[in-house]
Amino acid sequence: MIWIDGVLVSRGEGGVYGERMLGNARVWDPYRSKLGALCYKRKRIELAPDMRVLYLGAAHGTTVSHVADYVGVVYAVEVAPRPMQDLLEVSRRRKNVVPIMADAAQPEAYASLVEEVDLLYQDVAQPDQAAIALRNSVFLKSGGTLILMLKTRSIDVRREPEAVLDETKAELEDRGFEIMASEWLEPYHHDHAAVICRKG
Amino acid sequence: MMQSYWFGDVGDDGCRPFKGDTAAIAERVRSLRIEMDSFIPLKWQSAADCGTCRDREDYIGKLRGVCMLLAERRIAEEYRKKDVALHQMVGTLDEMDNVINLLTGRAVDWYQVSHPSFSRKYRRKPPRTLMKTISRRGGGAISRMAADIERLSATRTALAREVSDLAGDVMPNCSALLGGLVAARLMFHAGGLTPLARLPASAIQVLGARTSLFSHLRSGTPPPKHGIIFQHRRVHNAPAEVRGKVARTLAAKLAIAARLDLYRGVAVPEFLENAQTKIDAAGNVL
Repeated sequence: MIWIDGVLVSRGEGGVYGERMLGNARVWDPYRSKLGALCYKRKRIELAPDMRVLYLGAAHGTTVSHVADYVGVVYAVEVAPRPMQDLLEVSRRRKNVVPIMADAAQPEAYASLVEEVDLLYQDVAQPDQAAIALRNSVFLKSGGTLILMLKTRSIDVRREPEAVLDETKAELEDRGFEIMASEWLEPYHHDHAAVICRKG
Repeated sequence: MMQSYWFGDVGDDGCRPFKGDTAAIAERVRSLRIEMDSFIPLKWQSAADCGTCRDREDYIGKLRGVCMLLAERRIAEEYRKKDVALHQMVGTLDEMDNVINLLTGRAVDWYQVSHPSFSRKYRRKPPRTLMKTISRRGGGAISRMAADIERLSATRTALAREVSDLAGDVMPNCSALLGGLVAARLMFHAGGLTPLARLPASAIQVLGARTSLFSHLRSGTPPPKHGIIFQHRRVHNAPAEVRGKVARTLAAKLAIAARLDLYRGVAVPEFLENAQTKIDAAGNVL
């Protein structure tokens, strides 16, 4: 990752969502992006130019735009029409973003479009987040990385976030994922944990 | 085992390309039924073998063309649904109410400062009369502001009528039970007609009572009896001891009504008659 004086940036055309610029580098705000926050918490996270990424829950494409600055191609899946309009705007200006309007819980709808990827990144507000990741793991090459941004409050507000995280980890391990690390995104995002695992 | 991808069908004996322009490929992608159990992700090189693309860059370019067209079409389809328009109208209406109330309060406070005789007894008059008085007597900016608020109120009234009419069209059964305006608000809080039709009655009952529901779940305060549906006269007019019962019955019938609205789209008189009787019965105190 590119750091300028301790500030995470990506190199690309600016003006996507009013982000601050440092010279020709775009500042990647950890308070607005969970992946940005994860990079601040774990400095070993790396995105490489030859990587192919399947990004579930692309929303308005702010994080997607930063990821696209680093990697080869991003398949960005989003289901809601309003964010999708912004995402389309982002992909018009970034030739390595493939926008897919579909429900991440139903990969069969976009299976004919997506190739094998090195990184599966998921950030969706759904109660069955582990199940969605597992259903999409068919696109992940073996040895590839899954980064699951767990919104514990979407799974069950009544339960302790820690308990939800443990359960999710167990679910992923059960299905052949090796948990590399998990990280709470405090103070940038509350009740959000990043689970980083490798497909066996 | 043959696999179908956007650019063609790939099997052991090679690739059969799909012939057609971007729009035709988009149609193909929509119609493909993929079996995930036996699915193998595509390799872009197969597309090159198929003759779909020259190189990697060309491949991504063509794929992007298809995906963007698909997305644009789906966005247009989503927006064409009538409940989407209704959703925006209800949101605007509720926001207008907020703004009108805030500005009215401001205008009255301001007017009172320059006209000390404008005492509390005026405050009890309906806001519309107040604004008329202020716009006539205030002079300068405050007059104009009061006149603007009056106009905004008129717009609000017109919008409310349109919401009510459209709701009667989009959700005839719910509107018959609740009135168009409240029915539309219910749909707004659920996020659309489809999400509303998928909610259980218990959720419909407390839709719009988010704060008290979460405080109940978190810290065990008494559960909310009603949310939006409190705005219906039969709920808020019901005696306190049966109000929960009325809300529960109404919500149960609304859950059915929402499904009828989504899947049939026309009013079902037999259902409505029966539902009204049940709701009336729930409100009777013995």
